[in-house]
Amino acid sequence: MKVSCLQENLAKGLSIVGRAVSPRSTLPILSHVLLATDGGRLRLSATNLEIGINCWIGARVEEEGTIAVPARTFIDLVNALPPDRVDMEGVVRTMTLNLRCGRSEANIKGMDAVEFPPIPMPEGEGGVRLDAEALRTAIAQVAFAAATDEARPILTGVLVQFEEDRVTLAAADGYRLSVRSVPLPEPVGEPFSVIVPARAMVELGRICADQEEPVLTTVTPDHNRILFQLTDVVLVSQLIPGNFPDYRQIIPRDRNTRTVVGTADLLKACRTAQIFARDGAHIVQFHVHLGTDLEPGRLVVSATSAETGDDVTQLDASVEGEPIEIAFNVKYLIDVLSVLGTPQVALDTTSSSSPGVLRPVGEEDFIHVVMPMHLGR
Amino acid sequence: MGIRILSPEVASQIAAGEVVERPASVVKELVENSIDADAREIRVEVGQGGRRLIRVTDDGCGVPAAEAELAFHRHSTSKLASAEDLNHITTLGFRGEALASIAAVSRVTFLTRAAEEEAGTLLRLEGGRVVARRPVGRPPGTTVTVEDLFYNVPARRKFLRSEATERRHIDAWVTRYALAYPHLRFALTHDGREGFHSPGSGDLRDVLVAVHGVKTGAALLEIPEDPGSGSSIRVRGFVGPPSLHRGDRGGITLFVNGRWIQDARLAYAVIQAYHTLLPTGRYPVATIFISLPPEEVDVNVHPAKAEVRFQDGNEVFRVVQRAVRRSVLEQAHIPAASLPASPTWPGFRPSDRRPPVWAAQAQEPAVQPALPPREAPSGMPLLRVVGQVGAAYIIAEGPDGLYLIDQHAAHERVLYERMMAQREEGVPSQGLLEPEPVDLSPETAGLVEAHRESLRRLGFELEPFGGSTFLVRALPAVLAHARAAEVLADVARALQEGRSQVAEETEQAVMRRVCKQAAVKAGQVLTREEMEGLVQALERCASPRTCPHGRPTMIHISVAQLAREFGRE
Repeated sequence: MKVSCLQENLAKGLSIVGRAVSPRSTLPILSHVLLATDGGRLRLSATNLEIGINCWIGARVEEEGTIAVPARTFIDLVNALPPDRVDMEGVVRTMTLNLRCGRSEANIKGMDAVEFPPIPMPEGEGGVRLDAEALRTAIAQVAFAAATDEARPILTGVLVQFEEDRVTLAAADGYRLSVRSVPLPEPVGEPFSVIVPARAMVELGRICADQEEPVLTTVTPDHNRILFQLTDVVLVSQLIPGNFPDYRQIIPRDRNTRTVVGTADLLKACRTAQIFARDGAHIVQFHVHLGTDLEPGRLVVSATSAETGDDVTQLDASVEGEPIEIAFNVKYLIDVLSVLGTPQVALDTTSSSSPGVLRPVGEEDFIHVVMPMHLGR
Repeated sequence: MGIRILSPEVASQIAAGEVVERPASVVKELVENSIDADAREIRVEVGQGGRRLIRVTDDGCGVPAAEAELAFHRHSTSKLASAEDLNHITTLGFRGEALASIAAVSRVTFLTRAAEEEAGTLLRLEGGRVVARRPVGRPPGTTVTVEDLFYNVPARRKFLRSEATERRHIDAWVTRYALAYPHLRFALTHDGREGFHSPGSGDLRDVLVAVHGVKTGAALLEIPEDPGSGSSIRVRGFVGPPSLHRGDRGGITLFVNGRWIQDARLAYAVIQAYHTLLPTGRYPVATIFISLPPEEVDVNVHPAKAEVRFQDGNEVFRVVQRAVRRSVLEQAHIPAASLPASPTWPGFRPSDRRPPVWAAQAQEPAVQPALPPREAPSGMPLLRVVGQVGAAYIIAEGPDGLYLIDQHAAHERVLYERMMAQREEGVPSQGLLEPEPVDLSPETAGLVEAHRESLRRLGFELEPFGGSTFLVRALPAVLAHARAAEVLADVARALQEGRSQVAEETEQAVMRRVCKQAAVKAGQVLTREEMEGLVQALERCASPRTCPHGRPTMIHISVAQLAREFGRE
């Protein structure tokens, strides 16, 4: 293999595929990046068997070939190089990659590319197109709610549900649920849904940041994997088998109180409360007071720690319904308020032991349900 | 056989049985007499476990010649004049039964000289009757020789235990008195061989060293004075650090107003004070003196006077428990690692094999501690986290060497104390998005149902769901990442194991179980921040040295020990 490319392009490509490298795997090849010439471009690939990423960068190919090089070493080296042309040559006999850039020359000991697990390539023209920006926002609003522990594998995934002209993303970890739907540029024929590991969705969201073209989504015929095609990047993920719980049932239908406050103010109040809630169970108290003709309603946010102290923040709120006291895990609130995306948030509640619902005001497509906490007295 | 009145001889033998149960009771009664006679030195000689011979010699005030015979009459005593005096008994004996009872069942030689008289008296009695009497010369004091105990009561003789057992009972009594009277010199010989002896220095610790040996005696913690309690009950004595424990309650010795007593409730107060500090099934070592105004305690409950009745038993319980707990928490040391590693099994503590105290001089730390010896509020040294071994233990450096912390045990302790504190306000509970049905066995389901209210206080919200199924609606917030089914099954097990316990203890058992579930497990890799957070939280604990199940949370290897191991001395 003999190939030349620009250091900037190589570094950028590696930053995309580098996320799929599994640094502590028992399989040594998984800590490697595969370099392969591919139709006049250089393809970079990495996989941890759950997620695989292919990234193509522009290059001048003098001699076709492939080689796998240790990801950490290669990425560190490329990042240290000057922004110049990089000439690479794979020596098959010694499985070494010779690299020259500017006045530097390096040799990296690699592995035979045949050992590298194949990453499925998109086949045919089918698939669903998604708007990259909308997808990125939806992932940010949903993926954090997925479970991080493996107790219930299904909940470590994000439900991706295609129906007519909408795609809906949902994730839950047993205590909170995040649901976001996004209109599709063109409707799907058959409705279908898959469960994608949240980690893969987060990677996809990251890659989407630079994407302008729509993302083409296909599921492999065996229904084991999903492919997301972007410009010059393909992300492949395993799917989680099983049925996602019926989240629609969890979303409360009625409410006794609607409290509308400024999102940034509430987030700030929660961050302050977190300082004192940190020691205990991250418990933050909400007291909702009705307004009168003379003054607006109030949301009082407070936290108490036996060890460090307490704090109270008063927020002006527009309150409809009955006054209520309810407590939440402050971490959950901070998570959702950080991604809400509108200046105002509505909190719908029925009782101190029923789920609270957060919605961005003026935005119908996002809904977040969070279970309250209470003190077992 | 018709009914008739027993001859005085038979009657006295029966009565004697109440007081003189075994050779040790004779020793006890005679030693008490010696103490009441203001002796400074008491020698006890025993032959064949007391069957052949018991001789107690003292240098006390003696008995005047004229009163020598009277001493052996039933209900004769110099210690009490009227029933009124019973309300403020300050002497050990008071019934006037001891000598008469002993004489009724043995051959007694009574040799005494009152300090103010010129000559002494020798009195020989057999079966309670005086068979010889003559004046003799001897220094002031009394020697009572009891031979052939129960020679005339074959039934009683048959029930005596092995010589070793009787010897052990005698040892126990002499030790108790030596502890109660540290200013008296006690010397005990068995068949001419020297046994226990106390120096009579007046320092209780010297007696404890004589009883337990140098190592243990030195490790015991003195109960500090608590002048602010406002209670008329005073508690003093010594208690063992949590690292010192044994398989039975025998290490707990209690005295009330200088009198040894047996009281299961007070012993429990002492054990309770070590709650969560000792491994399950192990008991502390403690010698405790309780003093309270004589009118607040009735010692006239039992002929052997081993039991007493308190006017306010709960108050005594509380004061004792608090005093012991305070001593242990304030002063207990972290168990030292024993190097080289030696096998341990119950009853064998490697620290026993350390060099004797006289060698301690040479072990002064040669290296200056890296940190100033600042202490956290709990008395735990402030630690700097160095790293983690085996994804199970945190290595930390303290002012005086190396500390190994068991991450699971430490986290359990932190969570347990936090939960105990939260119990007042209510334990934070996290609702589940979807209530989870959990199937239990019918038996455990009944227990869970019975304890539903106290489980609710601990953050479990359960709803019966038909049969032995419960719907879990909320879990304690600390368990938010555990599986409801596993948690509930585990809690049900805790309830089952604690079935016989009182509600308070069952609740604590459940809490311990919850904390065990919620704590980081061995095998979990921790970040530096997590380790530092854990160590800081541990420093804030009231008893950071043990987990709620009583296992140590940390092991200490001193700078001196390290130096020794590396041969730097």
